[in-house]
Amino acid sequence: METTHSFHPFDSFLDRMRNPASLDLVRSIKSFIVSFSFNAPNPENDAKRIQDFFQSMEAAIRDHPLWEGSSDAEIDNALEGLEKYVMTKLHSRTFASSAEDVKMDAEISDKICLLQTFLRPQHLDIPSVLQNEASWLLAEKELKRINAFKSPREKLLCIINCCRVINNLLLKASISEDHVLGGADDFLPVLIFVTIKANPPQLHSNLKFIQLYRKQSNLVSEAAYFLTNLVSAKSFIVDLNAKSLTIEESEFEASMQAARLVNRVPQETLTTFDKMSTFRKITDPGPSTPMHIKAKTNLNGELNYPYMEAEAGELTVGDVEKLLSLYKDVVTKYTSLCSTVRHLSFSKTVSPAPQGNDDDLMRQTNGRTYKDTSCQED
Amino acid sequence: MGCSSSLPDRSSGRSTGLNNADNSEGPDAKNLRVKLVLLGDSGVGKSCIVLRFVRGQFDPTSKVTVGASFLSQTIALQDSTTVKFEIWDTAGQERYAALAPLYYRGAGVAVIVYDITSPESFTKAQYWVKELQKHGSPGIVMALVGNKADLLEKREVAVQDGVDYAEKNGMFFIETSAKTADNINQLFEEIAKRLPRPSPS
Ligand SMILES: Nc1nc2c(ncn2[C@@H]2O[C@H](COP(=O)(O)OP(=O)(O)O)[C@@H](O)[C@H]2O)c(=O)[nH]1
Ligand SMILES: [Mg+2]
Repeated sequence: METTHSFHPFDSFLDRMRNPASLDLVRSIKSFIVSFSFNAPNPENDAKRIQDFFQSMEAAIRDHPLWEGSSDAEIDNALEGLEKYVMTKLHSRTFASSAEDVKMDAEISDKICLLQTFLRPQHLDIPSVLQNEASWLLAEKELKRINAFKSPREKLLCIINCCRVINNLLLKASISEDHVLGGADDFLPVLIFVTIKANPPQLHSNLKFIQLYRKQSNLVSEAAYFLTNLVSAKSFIVDLNAKSLTIEESEFEASMQAARLVNRVPQETLTTFDKMSTFRKITDPGPSTPMHIKAKTNLNGELNYPYMEAEAGELTVGDVEKLLSLYKDVVTKYTSLCSTVRHLSFSKTVSPAPQGNDDDLMRQTNGRTYKDTSCQED
Repeated sequence: MGCSSSLPDRSSGRSTGLNNADNSEGPDAKNLRVKLVLLGDSGVGKSCIVLRFVRGQFDPTSKVTVGASFLSQTIALQDSTTVKFEIWDTAGQERYAALAPLYYRGAGVAVIVYDITSPESFTKAQYWVKELQKHGSPGIVMALVGNKADLLEKREVAVQDGVDYAEKNGMFFIETSAKTADNINQLFEEIAKRLPRPSPS
């Protein structure tokens, strides 16, 4: 079983591939990759072809003079290198390439954003001895790294590492806290909660990619078990409703509703702002606005509720409709907010994790990965 | 992490069900590897059974570092074949019941456990049997296990009920006690004997 990210089969694979003796292998790899440019992506079909290719290459490498007398571990390194090379080259075709997958990813991520605003460990009956902020953060961090890699193996390793952190936490709890070892009964709820806290990028596409394109002979044992658990966590989140949790139905609905309102604000802000052309001069008062007025209204409030600074004398009958709809909007939001706050008042909330920064980091890492893999280009 | 007894297993073959010699480097007729999924209500003793089998221990609170939800253990049979069980624990809470198919998909063995002091757990076991008959891999080996056989004075499910139900459904049946270790090894040995062997080619 692979244990760390530090194992680099890739360099030795590229080294061997630069050896003139491997020209035949290089040719078949390249022609295999090129062969994909002739037809549209088709995940099931692509997966079958790629898995078959891995198998035939395994035989070719075992019989190859360059690997004569090699240990199983060395052969394995070569096969891992091959997987990474091929899947990096075919990444845009095989990863999140259909509109459906993109939509799934967005839906899951949106739902997680909503859940993050109110979900607590108690809703999944996670015992307090297992609520270890440091371990959970570590586990989340592993999951969030998943898009820093392009090969199925490395993506899977992020999941394995995340699950190991959780397993260690369970073991520690059972040793030091006299918590009865609960097995999957403890493991799965913690993984679900960690997944929601992490909101890992493109969760659906990443899982699908690993399931389809990780070398099948390595998708076994513990690795397969951990992957299945994350697939299972995803499925739980997708279907999650009030009945999935220890929560009152009304509280669940109110919390989701409040979360939707909060999450929708930025978008509404823009449309509201655009529609309010008549009052543009008020909402956008220009540089002459006294500082103390700006300080009193926050940006969102100002844009969302453009009448905030209006004088009664400026209003016309034409404004009544807008005023009324804004009034209703405010009352609805206020009511939801109140009910949510009432439910949350005694408990710690999960703060939504910022997602943006990770993406930049990933792009950088991916860029580097890509360069690595093009060493072989002529 | 020191919990799983599974070691690097580079030579093993495909991922699902019973892994046998379907590729030249994989396990052969003498060395089988099988995915075993554990199903049954929370509290019936699944974890204890596995702990007993893998580590010879019973007490789930004992200070051992044993993997919580995935464990593997190899046994040798009399005919000198070995069987490596890869044991997949499933979360027993009701809210996760719908996820079970993700776990038993591709399993070669399903061990369905109930507690002989709990008729509800026996009913739940029957639910799992039906579900596996409908959706499990064809040819899956199923075992019905009545655990906590040491709690004789509290028994609420008659031995005969287990025997009859298993017989009707063509499954292997055994009563065990993870507490006294009674029949634990027998359970796994009997399962091993019932595994389909790859036909010699
Ligand atoms: N008397 C008795 N108690 C058992 C036996 N097996 C398990 N238990 C107890 O039943 C409880 C639940 O066991 P556990 O293995 O965690 O059940 P699981 O939820 O199915 O994994 C624990 O308190 C065990 O000590 C048994 O064979 N006999
Ligand atoms: Mg258990």
